[in-house]
Amino acid sequence: MSQEDALVKAGGVNFVERLVAGHELSRRDVLKAIGAGTLTLAGGGLIEACGSALGTTGGSSSAGTIKIGFVSPLTGPDAGFGEPDPYVISLAKKAFASGLTIGGKKYNVQIIDEDSQSGTRAAQAASDLINAQNVDLILTTSAPETVNPVSDAAEAAGVPCISTVVPWEAWYFGRQSNPAAPVPFKWTFHFSFGVAQFANAYEHLWPQIPTNKVVGVMWPNDADGNAIRAALGPMLKAAGYTIVDPGAYADGTTEFTTQINEFKSKNCEIFNTFPIPPDFVTFWEQAAQQGFTPKIAQIAKTGLFPSQVEALGSLGNGLASGVYWGPTWPYSSSLTGVSSAKLASGYEASSGKEWNQQAGASLALFDVAAAALKASGDPKNKQAVATAMKTLAVDTPLGHLAWGTGPNPNVVPTPIIGGQWVATPGSAYPIDFVICENSNDANVPVAAKLTAYS
Amino acid sequence: MNVLVQGVLLGGFYALLACGLSLMFGVMRIINLAHGDIAVIGAYLVWVLVNQTSMPPWLAALLVLPIMWVAGYVMYVLLLERSRRAGQLVPLLTTFGLAIVIENVLLQIFSPDDHSLLSSTGTLATSSISFGGLTISIFGMLTLATAVVVLIGLQFFLSRTTSGRQMRATAEDPDVAELVGINARAVYAKATAIAVAIAGLGGIFLAIRQTFNPSTGPTQLIFAFEAVVIGGFGSPWGTLLGGIVLGVAQVIGAQVNPQYFVLFGHLVFLAVLASPRGGLLSRRGRTV
Repeated sequence: MSQEDALVKAGGVNFVERLVAGHELSRRDVLKAIGAGTLTLAGGGLIEACGSALGTTGGSSSAGTIKIGFVSPLTGPDAGFGEPDPYVISLAKKAFASGLTIGGKKYNVQIIDEDSQSGTRAAQAASDLINAQNVDLILTTSAPETVNPVSDAAEAAGVPCISTVVPWEAWYFGRQSNPAAPVPFKWTFHFSFGVAQFANAYEHLWPQIPTNKVVGVMWPNDADGNAIRAALGPMLKAAGYTIVDPGAYADGTTEFTTQINEFKSKNCEIFNTFPIPPDFVTFWEQAAQQGFTPKIAQIAKTGLFPSQVEALGSLGNGLASGVYWGPTWPYSSSLTGVSSAKLASGYEASSGKEWNQQAGASLALFDVAAAALKASGDPKNKQAVATAMKTLAVDTPLGHLAWGTGPNPNVVPTPIIGGQWVATPGSAYPIDFVICENSNDANVPVAAKLTAYS
Repeated sequence: MNVLVQGVLLGGFYALLACGLSLMFGVMRIINLAHGDIAVIGAYLVWVLVNQTSMPPWLAALLVLPIMWVAGYVMYVLLLERSRRAGQLVPLLTTFGLAIVIENVLLQIFSPDDHSLLSSTGTLATSSISFGGLTISIFGMLTLATAVVVLIGLQFFLSRTTSGRQMRATAEDPDVAELVGINARAVYAKATAIAVAIAGLGGIFLAIRQTFNPSTGPTQLIFAFEAVVIGGFGSPWGTLLGGIVLGVAQVIGAQVNPQYFVLFGHLVFLAVLASPRGGLLSRRGRTV
């Protein structure tokens, strides 16, 4: 709920309006002041999340202002993805500070960021942006729970929307009324890795260690797990791997003895999983207790961020993973001019935390947004922006993205690069991601060969 | 057989998480929806102590429990006392609000990063003993033993000490208890303090079992709540039994098909709810 809605509900608007009538204050200024007051009093994340939209909407909205909405998970289970977003938004704001010149006209750019609360508030955040803020463009990122509802709302309302960090199959087919006969979307566009990128990375990573090619898999009974079972399983089989699948388990399972016994009895030397993070830790502890230690432990969906791996202690050292961006990506952001290395070091300096792969993807969203607005010739015309997206080509920290060349008109697939978390005692951060293969993007330098987990 | 043993060990963990919930309901008829989040506070406190002062986790736990005890006392006096007077539903809403506040305050202070006590407890979480096809986790046994010790302590406190008897009397009928000179408010505050301290203890075991972050609490609440209901509200031994029944049902479900793990637990929970008797060890007209 936005601060304004809250006030309306509380019957506070009458009071505010009366206040405004007697003074040379705009209604918005008063609301802002009240918002700031609540913020200071409460200091809670929820209230701050509601207030942040208000904080960024200060200033009058002239005809020459482009409004960009940004929806990402800042609180809730996916909040780890949202961690670098405030820093990335500050970079984008700096780049937009002097405005955008399009078709000879100069426009102010205003960014309105909203918290999806990891999905629970995603649809409402989108409708706030569309109906209350009248945004010209929506950007959204990080996990289907946030991105898909926002994309659906934008598609329904006819507002251009650019999204990332959801496997593109889950985004494209998952939102179709009939996934067997997909119809391209008119208003929503996406760049992200897909199942083929995972399969490719795994097929180049795993042969670096001699194994019996028997893969034990823990794919849960959720949107990601079932998509992976349907798509990745056959690809790995075709590449000569034997899949040992004990079956889909429910998220929130706290005991995995059945699966561990099966992996041990079938002698699985490779392990792959797409779990929610807390489930993996429970499983991995029990696997260690019961003596299941594969040569390669390939995890996805969890272990994306250093903090998740650090929390595992010594159990985290040597886990193999895949990343969608890293500081060694040899690309720069076209909007801000910031290189991948600078982006990582800048985030580390401003937050005091180790680099986080989401920073690259979030910044890429703003690169795409700026390029699409420029290419449209008329950024206030939503149809022109959507048309420009269809053939857009733009440089981002993730690499060069070109719409119209992907598997469908809406999607550009981006690479997954395989590697391994390795403990780095004595350096600034206790663990770092080492890149071991670059089959999806040969420009990303390989740092080392994969070493066995156990 | 191995599966049953794992189910029992899992049940010990559920019981430990559920004790405080059960106590608060038994004494005050308050279902504490912030219970899971309070457990996570305990986990964070120990994590901070261990990381800031590099003291061993068991020492940190000993320091944290009295802090949680005091926090529980304050929580009763400041929040629950007032809302209790306003009827049955208000305390439920109060604890629901408290849960949201706790999650967001933790998020502000600690960021959404995952943490765990795994790295500071050495090999405790991963070592096990095995014989004849059975693998028994040392940490699982420690959890079960702790749950049993806590429940024995609770049972002893309630049946043998003056405060415990006062607590039972107040649970039966607060008005009559007041007539004979028991300060019901003090009794309730004490019960909340004990419940919060035990929740904190459960949180510490949680922090070794898995990673935690500010939004971990609610998922913990569900299983704890089910253990309490299955065992019968307000009965300490019922809580242990409820936890074990839930754990065993879940691992048997997983044996049938991995996706039935959560489902079988819920089915047992529903069956108990629907049965005329209520919880396994619930006694009509007498709680605690």
